[in-house]
Amino acid sequence: MNLSMFVLLMVVTAAPARSPNFDTEIIPVLTKAGCNSGACHGAAAGRGGFHLSLLGADPSADHEQIVHSLESRRINLTHPETSLLLRKPTGQLDHGGEDALPEDGPGAQRIEAWIRAGAPRGESRRLTSLVVSPKKILCQELPAQVTIQVTARFDDGAEEDVTSWTVLTSSDPASVRMDDDHVAHINRRGQHVVIARFLDRVIPLQINVPLSDAIVDLTSEPRANFIDDQVLQLLTDLRLPVSPPASEAVWLRRVSLDLTGRLPDPDQVNRFLADTSADKRETIVDAMLSSDAFADYWTLRLSKWLRLHSLPNETEGLDAYSKWLRTEIDQGTSLDEMARRLLTATGDSHEIGPANFGRMVADPRAHAELVGQFFLGARLGCANCHNHPLDKWTQDDYHGLAAVFARLERGRQVQWTDRGAVTNLRTNEPAVPRIPAERDLSINGDHRESVFEWVTSDEHRYYARAMVNRLWRAMFGRGLVEPTDDLRETNPATHPELLKMLADDLVAHRYSLRHTLKQIALSHTYARSDLAVPGNEADDRFYSHALRRQLEPEILADAIADTTGVPLSFADGAITRAVRLIDPVSPAPSLDTLGRCNRAAGCEESVQASGGLPGQLHLINGDLINSRLTDEEGRLRRLIAAGLSNDEIVREFYLRGLGRPPSDDESATWRRLLSSDNPDERIQRLEDFVWSLLSSRDFLENH
Amino acid sequence: MSRMSQSSDSRYCDGLRRRDMIRVGCLSPFGIASFGFGLADWFRMQANAEDLGPSRAKSCILLWLDGGPSHLETFDLKPDAPREVRGPFQPIATNIPGVTVSELLPETAKHADKLAIVRSMTSPLGEHGLANQYLLTGYKPSPVLQYPSYGSVVTHLRAERSVLPPYIAIPESRLAGSGFLGNQHEPFVTGGDPSRPDFSVRDLDFFPGVDEQRLQRRREFLGVLDDRQRALESSEIPSDSEFQRAYRLVTSRDAKNAFDLSSEPESVRTRYGQRMFGQSCLLARRLVERGVPFVTVVQTGWDTHEDLVLQLKEGYTGAKVGVGLVPTFDLGFSALIDDLSVRGLLDETLVVAMGEFGRTPKLNTRGGRDHWPRVFSVVLAGGGIRGGQVIGSSDRVGESPKDRPVTPSDLARTIYTLLGVNPDHELKTPDGRPVPVNQGGAIVHELLA
Repeated sequence: MNLSMFVLLMVVTAAPARSPNFDTEIIPVLTKAGCNSGACHGAAAGRGGFHLSLLGADPSADHEQIVHSLESRRINLTHPETSLLLRKPTGQLDHGGEDALPEDGPGAQRIEAWIRAGAPRGESRRLTSLVVSPKKILCQELPAQVTIQVTARFDDGAEEDVTSWTVLTSSDPASVRMDDDHVAHINRRGQHVVIARFLDRVIPLQINVPLSDAIVDLTSEPRANFIDDQVLQLLTDLRLPVSPPASEAVWLRRVSLDLTGRLPDPDQVNRFLADTSADKRETIVDAMLSSDAFADYWTLRLSKWLRLHSLPNETEGLDAYSKWLRTEIDQGTSLDEMARRLLTATGDSHEIGPANFGRMVADPRAHAELVGQFFLGARLGCANCHNHPLDKWTQDDYHGLAAVFARLERGRQVQWTDRGAVTNLRTNEPAVPRIPAERDLSINGDHRESVFEWVTSDEHRYYARAMVNRLWRAMFGRGLVEPTDDLRETNPATHPELLKMLADDLVAHRYSLRHTLKQIALSHTYARSDLAVPGNEADDRFYSHALRRQLEPEILADAIADTTGVPLSFADGAITRAVRLIDPVSPAPSLDTLGRCNRAAGCEESVQASGGLPGQLHLINGDLINSRLTDEEGRLRRLIAAGLSNDEIVREFYLRGLGRPPSDDESATWRRLLSSDNPDERIQRLEDFVWSLLSSRDFLENH
Repeated sequence: MSRMSQSSDSRYCDGLRRRDMIRVGCLSPFGIASFGFGLADWFRMQANAEDLGPSRAKSCILLWLDGGPSHLETFDLKPDAPREVRGPFQPIATNIPGVTVSELLPETAKHADKLAIVRSMTSPLGEHGLANQYLLTGYKPSPVLQYPSYGSVVTHLRAERSVLPPYIAIPESRLAGSGFLGNQHEPFVTGGDPSRPDFSVRDLDFFPGVDEQRLQRRREFLGVLDDRQRALESSEIPSDSEFQRAYRLVTSRDAKNAFDLSSEPESVRTRYGQRMFGQSCLLARRLVERGVPFVTVVQTGWDTHEDLVLQLKEGYTGAKVGVGLVPTFDLGFSALIDDLSVRGLLDETLVVAMGEFGRTPKLNTRGGRDHWPRVFSVVLAGGGIRGGQVIGSSDRVGESPKDRPVTPSDLARTIYTLLGVNPDHELKTPDGRPVPVNQGGAIVHELLA
């Protein structure tokens, strides 16, 4: 009360020039100087008895701290220049953070002017837009210097150059060094990012510097769709030459593993290689997308993202959940309809699959985090204890989203009740249900539908972006944003425009999983060889060549079983394919040795197979491969018994395991290495051949 | 992505950084790489980065007494305390005048001159899961970060290349995992029971019907396939692949022999005690002897909420004497210390015996003791430890530290220092958060030789 009267008085008596506005002009000075960073006074507990909100997120609390608390000892209205707020950061008084503000610098001057004006909060004034110019930098020569300008527009109509008060941070200062006059000194080739932060806005500025001096002309590269356009554009900018297309056989193996989680069988390989029709790739992709194997494989993938697992002494919920997922995927239910059910379903979780979504976690907070992880691809967990330092999520957002799920009972009967609350750790009051970063909701009422609308809203397309990024990763081995559960403004995509276009394309096609996968599978980008050409060897993120990746444990185990013709056995023989073993708790020693994900914290970064040393030992000495080589019912023994020659056997295993026939050279090599007059010795050599094939990189990897 | 050098616009609170590194990392406004390069060097320049000379310990054997051993029945007896506190066992003298231990530790008592007993360990965490992590990592558990255990940190930083895995857990790892350092630093778990005649490590022995000759042929065949691929790529493939490491291990007679306890003389095996713990200690000795930098031996069952006499002394198996937890520990531990010492390995092998907390001063109604983290004991030997001393003490009833409280974080800083790891070295989480090896601990100088 007193303050506002005082402030009014001071404003009236201040100089004709408008006094600095606290929220929009003083806070940026503090942020720029680092005062309110997490390391200093922005820490949850403050520092040296002085607590500021992290990065100035709460101006009214900050104003209170600076102007009011400790009997206003931090400011001296009579002698502004002697205020602690100035003497400490300028180093005139002992200060843990030393000289955060130059004594005669513009920051100190602005603070002094503000105190002179009576340290008012000032009129309510909000930032409406922030523009960083240039928007994108492509430089041709090094070293280069680019001056960055940041312009803010406020709701009072003012447009100001706020460059001096914007924190500009290079993600890699060895490549791009920012100096105090907002000049980016670019010293290295490649893609770099400078992040601009002013008040609550964060804008990434992408800087691309060609990786070579030789101009790369990709205009004649074939383009199937916008994916190729976007990828080739960046490759052109970066002057990265592209690798030629992979062979047809390699492409077929790749797409088969990526869409169906299994190797193509020899018939498929032979037919595909013999097919001369122009649309044969589309035909086979369509066939894969409508196969049972596709439904199995994508059920497992979604199960990992959704952290499916059985509960103690209860597998019925998991069964219902995975059955539901498989049915929806099989029937082509749109991903947004599935999202709606996951977010809103209630009822008997042993019957109603999606009602188990919230049963995979223990409480409303974990529920909110799972919503964040799956639907937003974001890590909301940070905002439990403090506002997310790298993103826009606040503690109120976090606890507010948790509050939406507070009244959900997570027993077998998943139901909405009229009790249950979550404590907001910031206020220690019951949290108000809230759509994060948007609005509070009524205390009572079921707002889960609003959460669905929020994650699928056209404004954000959070869910669509998170999904297409995951699908991209599933197909290429790398997300456009990495990691795929950490999407945020400060972690920009390698191809921001492409990510947006993919998300828009998904929405435009009724959130069809198959549509996006098909777009990617038929792009020329996807079809590239993994073999580097001179100039693109080091590329691991711009898709000038394909990235090799290890098969996941389940896929590898199935591939071994398929190639050797000896099925796996789980759950007492009820399940014979690892890809159908949804429950990570279900015993499967081989899969565990290979590094199966336990889903305790989600499996976005799918753990790769041949899990370290134990995995390798298992391949070498374990029964997964070895017992299948000598199995009387197995493929090798059957082929030998049928009287096939070594050549024929080698060919069969090449087709099955590597998805291609051996070259003449390879055939000759194996003819030499496998020949033996002793029948027992011959069998052993053949076993050793199959073992080595199954342990080779070309088998263990998708390439 | 490379890291940030200390640039003009990186202003942080001086001197406060170390203690708040976690928070700093999490709150760094721009995440990956905003903090980083330069800070570690900066720390090194600080006066409080203590230089203790070259480290003594090449290896560490951690004897993890899972469940929380009673300090009052092992290394911190209270014979003068009321009956409900002092418990069923008497103290006995050791070879250090004035230092006593439980009567169940007669063999250990003979080697007290090599031991440093810390009787003033203190922690606020009295729940197994949390306390485990605190003691095994030096960090109180956090909901957002899984800290790596000692062995993972040591092997991560030493990056030694040897035939045997650098971090081995016998027979299981009990939460002592690699945390944010990732799978490649998980301990290699032996499984099985080393005291059984058929003990073997999973997948270490050849599959029936496959001998070394065939394995060699398989490697040759594999070379045919992978070399072709390598030639096509005409690029540098990491020369030491996981396969090579595994191959070296399974074909190294010496390495495999390390796990073969039957090659030990019967007298040695007997000295360690013919039970799982003792034979695990023996296996640990065989491993450090072959240069393995970190070995964990787990002894379970110390969560003695009832029947102290039965659990600690007599054991459940019906045998007459010396099968309970403490006699089992006594045999294995003393034999290990003695054996290492005789072989000249003790100076370079740090041995730590501890659990996650102590037990309640008062016996409960079931004749047991419940969880008690406020004060408990830890024993260290070898590897730069000054033996023959007791550090700190608990109060009259073993309820609180009386003097020289030592936290698990202090202990961690000491252990890392002894192992030649700079405790201020910054590890990186996968998302770029810098985390020092140890935070907030102070070296227990009295422990150092």
